[in-house]
Amino acid sequence: MTELATLARPYAEAAFKRAKQTETASAWSESLLFLSVVAQDRDLIAIISNPKISKDKKIEVVLDICQDQIQDEAKNLLKLLIENGKLQLLPKITALYEQYKAEDEGYVNVDLYSAYPLNKAEQSNYVAKLEKKLNKKVNATVLVDKSLIGGILAKAGDKVIDGSISGQLHQLAKRL
Amino acid sequence: MQLNPSEISDLIKKKIENFDANLEAHTEGTVVSVTDGIVRVHGLSEAMQGEMLEFPGGSYGMALNLERDSVGVVMLGAYQHITEGDTVKCTGRILEVPVGEALLGRVVDALGNPIDGKGSIDTDLKSPIEKIAPGVIARQSVDQPVQIGLKAIDSMIPVGRGQRELIIGDRQTGKTAIAIDAIINQKGTGIKCIYVAIGQKRSSIANVVRKLEEHGAMDHTIIVVASASESAALQFIAPYTGCSMGEYFRDNGQDALIIYDDLTKQAWAYRQISLLLRRPPGREAYPGDVFYIHSRLLERAARINAEEVEKLTNGKVKGKTGSLTALPIIETQGGDVSAFVPTNVISITDGQIFLETGLFNSGIRPAVNAGLSVSRVGGAAQTKIIKKLGGGTRLDLAQYRELAAFAQFASDLDESTRKQIERGQRVTELMKQNQYAPMSVAEMSVSLYAANTGFLDNLEVKAVRDFESALLAFMKSEEPALMAKVNETGDFSDEIKNGIHSAIERFIKTSSW
Repeated sequence: MTELATLARPYAEAAFKRAKQTETASAWSESLLFLSVVAQDRDLIAIISNPKISKDKKIEVVLDICQDQIQDEAKNLLKLLIENGKLQLLPKITALYEQYKAEDEGYVNVDLYSAYPLNKAEQSNYVAKLEKKLNKKVNATVLVDKSLIGGILAKAGDKVIDGSISGQLHQLAKRL
Repeated sequence: MQLNPSEISDLIKKKIENFDANLEAHTEGTVVSVTDGIVRVHGLSEAMQGEMLEFPGGSYGMALNLERDSVGVVMLGAYQHITEGDTVKCTGRILEVPVGEALLGRVVDALGNPIDGKGSIDTDLKSPIEKIAPGVIARQSVDQPVQIGLKAIDSMIPVGRGQRELIIGDRQTGKTAIAIDAIINQKGTGIKCIYVAIGQKRSSIANVVRKLEEHGAMDHTIIVVASASESAALQFIAPYTGCSMGEYFRDNGQDALIIYDDLTKQAWAYRQISLLLRRPPGREAYPGDVFYIHSRLLERAARINAEEVEKLTNGKVKGKTGSLTALPIIETQGGDVSAFVPTNVISITDGQIFLETGLFNSGIRPAVNAGLSVSRVGGAAQTKIIKKLGGGTRLDLAQYRELAAFAQFASDLDESTRKQIERGQRVTELMKQNQYAPMSVAEMSVSLYAANTGFLDNLEVKAVRDFESALLAFMKSEEPALMAKVNETGDFSDEIKNGIHSAIERFIKTSSW
């Protein structure tokens, strides 16, 4: 089984290097985000995976959807992906691109899971603590997850810092 | 340990009181695929080779393949409840098993959990299953014997403490029988035994346990079981589990004997895991590192010197060497010792005991082929008296083998050839021994002495074994002091020699066999 990430990595790397060269990293980021949403559309997937429709036609359709939403170079990437039959990699490419961008700019994307909505002060407090712990700038996204019962859980990539009540109950259960 | 309900709730209360919930930081991944006990996990960028990974539902896996975007994990135990998308956590620990004296007399699985229904194992000590073997400086040469209790082996293929001696042969040639006799014979010697059963039928394992219990040998024995019905991962790690349990005794200045029954099945289990992990197959479809799985395991059987023991026990045990002797078993197919795994293990070990179907079927049991069996280091460890008396036996048998083809024309042969053939026939007969009847050094010495000095030459070949058992019974009742002395010192002084000689002469006069 070939991992999607393995296939997506060269595309993401190339896109990021090009973006850095032309100093359009954030414009690329927006384009890719838009494209990955488009690529996950069910009707579009049906068209793309239909072997009876020619590649030129597919490119035309997708470009038609995007119109002016994305920049020219991103359009080229799109053409290349359709040409190679790899359009389903787009979400993965976007994720990897964001990772490269974050690494390059020296911050980490952190998902903060909380049992209840956080106010501004709480959030900045947590972000400051996380920045100290991870030694990097933190770009936090707050998500609410009732099953945590209380406390918060931070996810940065595959690193998890679990300070939630449910996590502690889990630890306790294991100890007993 | 029996507890009543109120005590249990007290215990739980205390645990909850002392529980300090700390921030738990770990690395996580998600299951991508589950196939035949192999799970592919995306993420887990910080996983270590051989690390335990925690799956939902309290099951564990071992990380074996670390790749760029995923980790190949082999499940330890049940994996039916694991589905795509499940979260997997790193534990930061290499697989560990309980070790210690408390395990003696117990039957455990490959993870050290008791499976004999005798309750939990009362030990806090744990040890990782994969450890590096002792270094060059820590070692000491092998110079003390492990008595197997079989004349054919102790006289011709002696095993020393810290040696690795392979038992090799086809199916149904008595490989396990030798191992069981060796365990029974360690009763009262202080040598702790570990029997690792890999890929065997549960019924045969139950049989082994019962036999050991019958002969009172379970008290100094640990049995590690990864039966045929258990997953390939457990069959693969079982020898390492047993080895860690044995190393505990070695590192504490004691002597231990471990039997791997058998390593062929472990290699099969490892081949299965490797092929499922998509590692490239090599000769006989084994992966490239099948030699290393056996060499690193058998390298851990060693004798370590007193300084190392002192260092490992933090000075608690002084002036004692420790040893772990290994008797790996390999099953050959149709007597083919040049297959991949048999050649590997032959080259790793310090000698082999070669068992043959032909000998077994012609009634020579143990079916040891004296010509092909060797012990490369055991000679230095042999008891003096056995060494002195056993040397002749080996020679007699070697000469007999050369001449055996002429045995049919006995009437046409010259006197000396005929004598050699007759001596060989009698010694071959004498080397036969019943199962579960290991002999002491003194008993062996008397038998060997009788053969060497020609006391057997005037007997019918058929009468040799009756003669031997009657002689040993006579020695036991008439010369207990002499026998005890031989067992204790192991010397072959003139006094002992004359004692044995005159005793045998007296016995012959009784002609009571």
